[in-house]
Amino acid sequence: MAVFSLSASAGEALVLGLATGPVCLATCGPVVVPWMMVQPRGVRGHSRQLGLFLAARLAGYMVFATAVWLAGSSIQRAWVGQAGAGRAGIGQSWLMGGIEVLLAAALVVYAVGWPHRRCAAANPAYAQASARHEARDRPAYAQASARLGTTDKLVRIGEARSLRSGALALGFLTGINLCPPFLVAGVRAAELEHLSAALVFFVCFFVGTAVWFLPFLSMGFVQRTPAVVTVARMVAVLLACWYGFSGVYLLIERTFYG
Amino acid sequence: MASSSSTLSRPAALRRPKAFRGPTAFRSVGRSILLTLPIALWSLLMFTPAFQRAGRDEHIGAGVVIVFMTALFFLMMRTGETYRWRRIFFVALGFLFPVGFIAALVAQRGTMSIPISRMVSGDTPFCFMVTPSIILPAAFAKTIVFPGSILPTASNPHSIAIMIGIWFAMTLVLGKAWCSYACFFGGIEEGFAAVAKRRRLHRFVTRYSHILRLIPWAILVFVVLVSAAIFEPVYCMWLCPFKAVTEFPAVRNVETAIQMGIFVALFVGLVVVLPYLTKKRTQCGFFCPFGAFQSIFNKINLFEIRFDREKCVDCTLCQTSCPTVALSKESIAEGKTLLNCMKCGACVDACKKDAAVWHLKGTPVAVKPERARLLFLYGAWALATMFGGSILANSVATMMHWLPLK
Repeated sequence: MAVFSLSASAGEALVLGLATGPVCLATCGPVVVPWMMVQPRGVRGHSRQLGLFLAARLAGYMVFATAVWLAGSSIQRAWVGQAGAGRAGIGQSWLMGGIEVLLAAALVVYAVGWPHRRCAAANPAYAQASARHEARDRPAYAQASARLGTTDKLVRIGEARSLRSGALALGFLTGINLCPPFLVAGVRAAELEHLSAALVFFVCFFVGTAVWFLPFLSMGFVQRTPAVVTVARMVAVLLACWYGFSGVYLLIERTFYG
Repeated sequence: MASSSSTLSRPAALRRPKAFRGPTAFRSVGRSILLTLPIALWSLLMFTPAFQRAGRDEHIGAGVVIVFMTALFFLMMRTGETYRWRRIFFVALGFLFPVGFIAALVAQRGTMSIPISRMVSGDTPFCFMVTPSIILPAAFAKTIVFPGSILPTASNPHSIAIMIGIWFAMTLVLGKAWCSYACFFGGIEEGFAAVAKRRRLHRFVTRYSHILRLIPWAILVFVVLVSAAIFEPVYCMWLCPFKAVTEFPAVRNVETAIQMGIFVALFVGLVVVLPYLTKKRTQCGFFCPFGAFQSIFNKINLFEIRFDREKCVDCTLCQTSCPTVALSKESIAEGKTLLNCMKCGACVDACKKDAAVWHLKGTPVAVKPERARLLFLYGAWALATMFGGSILANSVATMMHWLPLK
C-alpha cells in the first residue's frame, strides 16, 4: 500500500512537473538565457552548463522539500493565505525578497563580472602585454611559465571554476525561488507522511520540469558575435536590476506594511 | 559600378546647397504632379467616408490631411528629397497624436489614467509596442498578457487582432521603415531633435554608438523574458516613455508612483532632452525594444539603402546625419546600412556625391535608384496616409472642436 501511494505521488509529481513546465521555463528563462548566451558557442559546453545548472536546481529542490516537509502544514496555510498565517506570510516574503536580491547579485557577478575578467585575461593583447611585463620584471618566472604554460593553464582553471560556480549558484537560487508551480508542489509535498516521500515527490517534479529546459541547448548553436555577448551581458544587468528592485521592494513592503 | 545614363541622379548644380534656400528643382512641375496623382487619389479615397458621415470639424480635418499629405509627396517628387518632407509629416503625427488621443480619453473617462475596471473588462486599447511581449506567453500558456480584448468591441475598437493585423500588413511593406512612416511616438523626439541648432555630445555618441545601438536588443530580450515570467506587459507597466503623454495606471500606491516617475523620467530624458542635445532619435535608436523587433523584418523587406562605393568618398556625412546611428564606418565600407536602418532617407539626402541610394533587393546597386525610391515611397506614403493620416485628421478635428469658430 505504501509502495502504491509512493508511486502514485511520484506519478502525480511527474505530471505536475510536465504540466507546469512552461511556467518553470518562463520563470527560470530570464536567468538561464543571458547566462547561456555569454558562454562560448558549442552544444557540448552548453550541455555541461545546463547540466550543472539543473543539478544545482535539484539541490535547491531537495533543500526546499526538506524545509516544507519539516514545516508541514503551517507553511501550507501561509501560502494559501488562510487566516492566522500572517507571520509565516511575512517570512515567505522576506525569503522571496532575499532570494531575489541574491539572484540579482549572482547575475551581476557571474554573467557580467567573472566571464568578462576571463575574456580580458584570454585576450591576446592582454596576454602579450602581461607576458612583456613579466619578462621585464620577473625574467626567471616568465621563462618558467612560458616553458610550462602556467599562466595559460591557471587562466583556464580559473575560467572553468568561475563557470562551474556560476551555473551552480544561479541553478541553486532559481531552485529555491518560489515560482507558482513550485509552491503547488511544496503544498503537496508538505502533506506527505515521510520525508523520503517528499524528496521523491520533488525529484519527480524536477524530472517533469527539466524536460522543458532541453530547448535551451539550442542556444549552443547561436552564433557568438561580440554583439550577441554584449547584449546578453546587458540583459543580465537589466535582469539584475529587475530582481534587485523586486527583492528590495518585497523586503521594504513587508517590513513597513506587514 | 557607374550609373547608367538613364539613372535619375541629382545634377550637381541643382543639389541642395549647405544653407537651404527653398526647394531646388529636381523634376519639372508637370512630372511631379503626374507622379503625385496616385497619392492624391489615394488620399481622397481614404477620407471620402469622413466627408460622407461626419460633421464640419471632421470635414476640415480630412481636407487638411488630404492637402497636407499630397503636398508633401509633391515636394518629395519635385525636390528629390525624402527626409525633409517626411519629417514634417512625422513630427506633426508625433505631436498631434497625443492631442486626439488624450481628448478621446478625457471625453470617455474624464482622466488619462486607466481605471482598474477597464483593465479587468479588457477595454484598454492595444498598443503595437506590446507585440513582442505577448508572443511567448501566447505560445506557451495561450494567454495574452495585455488587458485588451482580442476582437473589437463597441467600447474598444482598437482590439488586439485589429492592431496586430494593421501592424503586420504595414511591416510586410515597410520593414523597419515602420519607425519612420507609421509609429506615432517617434515624431515627438524627431521634433525636438530638429529644433536643436547644433549637435552636442556628438563625440560621445560616435564613440559609443556600437554599444548604444545594442541597448534596444537587450531591452527587447529583457522585456520578452520577464513578460513571460510574470505574465505582465513589462514594457507597458514599467518602461514606456510615452505613457507620460498617453494613458497610464492611476497613481494609487508607492508602486504606481514609482512607475509614473520612471515614465516621466524616460520621457523627459530620452524624448526631450537627449534628442535636443544629440540631434538623434535617442529613444528610437538607443531604447525602443519594438524598434529592435522591427529590425528583424528588414531582412525580409524588399527595400534598403545602399552605398555606391565608387562614388563614396568616406566623408561620413551620412553617418553624422543618421538619426538612429544605423551606419558605421565598416557598414559604409561594405556599401550597406546596419540592420536597424529605418529608411528615413536622411543619409541619401545628406550625401553630396549621390553615393547613398535607395535600392530594391535583387537589382544592381546604384542603377536607377530613383525608381527604387519611387516604388518604396508609393507604398510607404500610401500606408502613412491611411494610418498616420487618419490619426492626424482626428487630431485636427479635435482641435477644431476647441477653437471658438462656430
